[in-house]
Amino acid sequence: MSLGERLLLSRLVKRDEEAFNEIVRSYGDRVYNLVLRLVGSPAEAEDIAQEVFVTVFKSIESYRGEAKLSTWILRIAANHSKNRIKYLARRRTGGQELRDGSDATDVADEGKAPVQAHFDAPDVMLEAAEIERIMQAAIAELEEEQRLLVVLRDVEELSYDEIVEITGLPEGTVKSRLHRARMALKDLLEGKLK
Amino acid sequence: MNVTDSHARATEAFSAYVEGDLGPAERAYVDEHLSTCLQCRVALERFRRTVGRLGTLKRSAPGTFLEKVQAQINRRSRGRFFGKRHLLFGRIPFEWLSLAMIVAMLVYYIVVLQSSPTGVVPGR
Repeated sequence: MSLGERLLLSRLVKRDEEAFNEIVRSYGDRVYNLVLRLVGSPAEAEDIAQEVFVTVFKSIESYRGEAKLSTWILRIAANHSKNRIKYLARRRTGGQELRDGSDATDVADEGKAPVQAHFDAPDVMLEAAEIERIMQAAIAELEEEQRLLVVLRDVEELSYDEIVEITGLPEGTVKSRLHRARMALKDLLEGKLK
Repeated sequence: MNVTDSHARATEAFSAYVEGDLGPAERAYVDEHLSTCLQCRVALERFRRTVGRLGTLKRSAPGTFLEKVQAQINRRSRGRFFGKRHLLFGRIPFEWLSLAMIVAMLVYYIVVLQSSPTGVVPGR
């Protein structure tokens, strides 16, 4: 752990509100994006991401520093997302709404294009939004664990060490399951993207 | 090794291949296979494009996210954290108030009680 991270942590343990604000500013976007890609719905994602930071605030003492702070926070985000997916699947009939990609449509219909397209021309933004919608629908088709691995590695661009810490899976298992997930995504996207 | 096995071995290695994670011998095998197999070359290109596009799926949290998290914590802590700030001090400085109180009591003890514990001024 870096000195800066240790100082920040000691302020967090003392429930320093400004230190907590720094944490939300630093990791808010990553947590939100991770959760959004896992659950597919912006409204659910915002709600879950808020829960993640409430948990961080409440249970910062349980962070022992074995993993990076970012990894610890993303693990909380992954666990909250899994729980919410299970809860929604139980509540909805057979969990159809998440698995058929209809929530994924929300992601592109929200009126916001992906971050990288904010300053592009309208037609480029529309195309980016359409690609995002198709990609999100395909991600929603994956099994829960495959979805998590793809999002952690290819969307959030985490290292294998970080993914091992978050998922608790051995590195070899992560790599083989990730490969299967990528192949499944490739097949799901066949003929849907230029 | 038959053709089907050869395709399977090459596609099984796609992830490690694009991440540069293959040993020299396996990499040479995949390169060799790709040089003669159009089907696998096309599949690898689609695989690369799929993985590359995933990296573009970035979304920022809504602009009011921090305020909403603060409001959640404030509500659940029954106002203990992230409450409304006092205009002059940011918050009530309890630690400074207690320190000032201790100093004031000490001064009172020294000046009033210690200088004349019985209240009687000794004669000259």
